[in-house]
Amino acid sequence: MRLEGKRAIVTGGSRGIGRGIVKAFLEEGASVLTCGRSPAPEDLPADCAWKTADVSSAEDMEHLAATAGPVDILVNNAGIQVERTVADSTDADWDLVIGVNCKGVFNACRAVLPRMRSGGSIINIGSVSGQTADPGMALYNASKAFVHGLTRSIAVDHGPKVRCNAICPGWVETGMLYAGFDLASDPEAARRDALMRHATRRFGRPEDIAAIAVWLASDEAGFATGQLFTVDGGMTAASPINPGIY
Amino acid sequence: MKLDGKTAFVTGGRGGIGRAIVARFVNEGATVYSADLDAGGSLDRHDDDGSRFVRLDVTNEDECVAAMKRVRNDAGRLDVLVNAAGIEIEKTIEETSLDEWNRSFAVNVTGTFLTSKHALPLLRSAAERGASASIINFGSYDGFIADPGLAAYCATKGAVHALTRAMACDHGPEGVRVNAVCPGYVDTPMLQSFFEGEGSGGGGRTITQLQKAVRDAHPMRTYGTPEDVANLVNWLASDEARYASGQLWVIDGGLSAQVQQMNP
Repeated sequence: MRLEGKRAIVTGGSRGIGRGIVKAFLEEGASVLTCGRSPAPEDLPADCAWKTADVSSAEDMEHLAATAGPVDILVNNAGIQVERTVADSTDADWDLVIGVNCKGVFNACRAVLPRMRSGGSIINIGSVSGQTADPGMALYNASKAFVHGLTRSIAVDHGPKVRCNAICPGWVETGMLYAGFDLASDPEAARRDALMRHATRRFGRPEDIAAIAVWLASDEAGFATGQLFTVDGGMTAASPINPGIY
Repeated sequence: MKLDGKTAFVTGGRGGIGRAIVARFVNEGATVYSADLDAGGSLDRHDDDGSRFVRLDVTNEDECVAAMKRVRNDAGRLDVLVNAAGIEIEKTIEETSLDEWNRSFAVNVTGTFLTSKHALPLLRSAAERGASASIINFGSYDGFIADPGLAAYCATKGAVHALTRAMACDHGPEGVRVNAVCPGYVDTPMLQSFFEGEGSGGGGRTITQLQKAVRDAHPMRTYGTPEDVANLVNWLASDEARYASGQLWVIDGGLSAQVQQMNP
């Protein structure tokens, strides 16, 4: 087991990618504490600790870090998506997206860093949308670019003691992805078209992202820091113009 | 005029994008040598001074040496080299013959190497006289992300990107700036050939439908013109760009700024 004896905090482990990471970490022998805004989900694995906490609250993150004590791994997975352009975005959208996706990562890192054991690993969930834009997702795209920049800063500033990397998932089968398809005029056609844009001809699964999270958390990744790791089934390697699907 | 007093050498000067660069450079006051495989090029019109047309196969070192010798003897200087000559083989690696592979690299990469190598002494002496000497290579957005069925082309453009940075690094101290422009979809004979190849393929699409689909895939809802690219090349060649070197300048109507889009 690659994470035996390690203690991990994973934010947003109630579902989707976060849950996939929680399960993989447990299977690899880590002890895991996860959090979310709601009470503990009923299907949470029995050996996973839960704390109800909001990442956008500095106080909540301080409590979470204090509860966890010394840790080896922090995964900043909690994130939120608002499907609007800049012109359509409200102040409340800004507070929500920036509060969770940007301030949330900052809050958790600031609270956990002083308690992190030497050799620790911080893994942030960035996005391919932080490098190239998804239309109609302005604040989300920008918030993920912030995560990418913060990832490099933490890697540089806390270098010898802590490694910090970001994973940039492409389209992963989660509630967030289905919400995207539902915006299309023909969700089924949109889904077929989107599949054709992936060299793998399938979308990602939470376990695909969990697999690289395990590697980045493990000592095998001891020389990997400050980088963005894209796992997207080849989507961003291909030109958006793909005559085969028109 | 931005290029007054400068002498420029443009390979592929009678092709789609090269022709527009030559025309723009002439308008900006430069003395322009337009080089191509034959005077007809891939278009039936040209805007350069026919007396400065250079018949040149960029893959032939002797011809590159002779072309630069001619520029030295005629103009006595060279300030700007534009490596716009390029070919595109529309195939996957399995379909590409070794000969086609070698030809792609010979024109797109070796050609850039040969003309640059033999232009450098002239460019360096322009820089020594205080002028801003500049090489502008042709990369492509295909050097970053792949179009299907263009394997050798994508690989050559990736090579040009790396060569651009290497040349900028080596010759920056000598006063020579080196950049690459990386066009996306530009309305040239090369693009029309791509449309004809794809448009007659499966799916029952007409070329017009395909052209519309390609336009719609761009945030700007259009593909570019050779003049759009010439505008950027003109700036990179000018003294305004005196601090710009070693970079890959993507000009693609926003195509590569967006994540893959689904067509609902």
